Amino acid sequence: MMLLPCPWCGPRTATEFRFVGEARPRPDPATATPEQWRHYLYVHANPCGWSTETWYHRAGCRRYLSVERHTLTHEIRAVRDAATGTTAEAAP
Amino acid sequence: MSEQTAVARSPIAPAAPTVRHGWEVDATVTVGPLTLSDETPLAKVSVRAPFDGAARRALGVRYGRTGRVDLGGEGVLIAGAGPGEWLVLGAPGTGAALVASLEELLAGTGEFTSVLDLTHGRALVRLEGAAAPRVLAGVCAIDLADAVTPDGTALRTSVAAVVTDVVRDDRAGVRSYLLHGERSSGQYLADSLLEAGAGAGLEVTGFRGLG
Repeated sequence: MMLLPCPWCGPRTATEFRFVGEARPRPDPATATPEQWRHYLYVHANPCGWSTETWYHRAGCRRYLSVERHTLTHEIRAVRDAATGTTAEAAP
Repeated sequence: MSEQTAVARSPIAPAAPTVRHGWEVDATVTVGPLTLSDETPLAKVSVRAPFDGAARRALGVRYGRTGRVDLGGEGVLIAGAGPGEWLVLGAPGTGAALVASLEELLAGTGEFTSVLDLTHGRALVRLEGAAAPRVLAGVCAIDLADAVTPDGTALRTSVAAVVTDVVRDDRAGVRSYLLHGERSSGQYLADSLLEAGAGAGLEVTGFRGLG
């Protein structure tokens, strides 16, 4: 079982979350070319190592989280709220 | 022509239906040590506001905890089951009055808040008894030990694969959990709990209220 340490809810099983994808900056819709959009939507780095990802805690706090996860070992070294930057230490 | 009265129905079918407080409820009374009761008739009001602002201070309940307060002359249970989300439970038929009281309470906070009566859109059951943690542990991955989830804990998690607010609300020192979820999942949730508790002697009992 893989545990994700949610900054709001504490450690929860990964089945409570939805994997959104690799976290990366969204291109500016006003200036991005179709090629840039295609690259943003469909081309992923998929590293074997540390990756910054977005996860959605659908069965808990319903917040989007930014997670630094090692894709080979599933070790997690940092989790914060993607919108507010709240970490486990700062959560109420 | 006979006079007709509207009756609200829970999503959980009662074994022995009777009408109380304008709701069809189960007339079954069980005195066993481990019971499951359908508490759907309780008024259920959702409040959303910034998780740690003036609204939270006005409600007096922080995220992850519960509190019993007097609101508009009614005793209610407030559960902070999500960051910036509160569930307010009151006596049957008080939903509109609760909404009015909460709106009045939050009006002076200056924050963007929303108050919504969810009574007829949600299901609510109470699992009570010393063996309740053992039953719940069969369908839920949360650590239910006193040190982790003491009395007064509110959280949202997956119960039998259904997103559920779990509120620990012990009564007279006896372990008791309120489980709140979408109306469409109510019957399934109750059936799943009864199946998980069959070996522990879980029995169905009628509506009891907040107590």
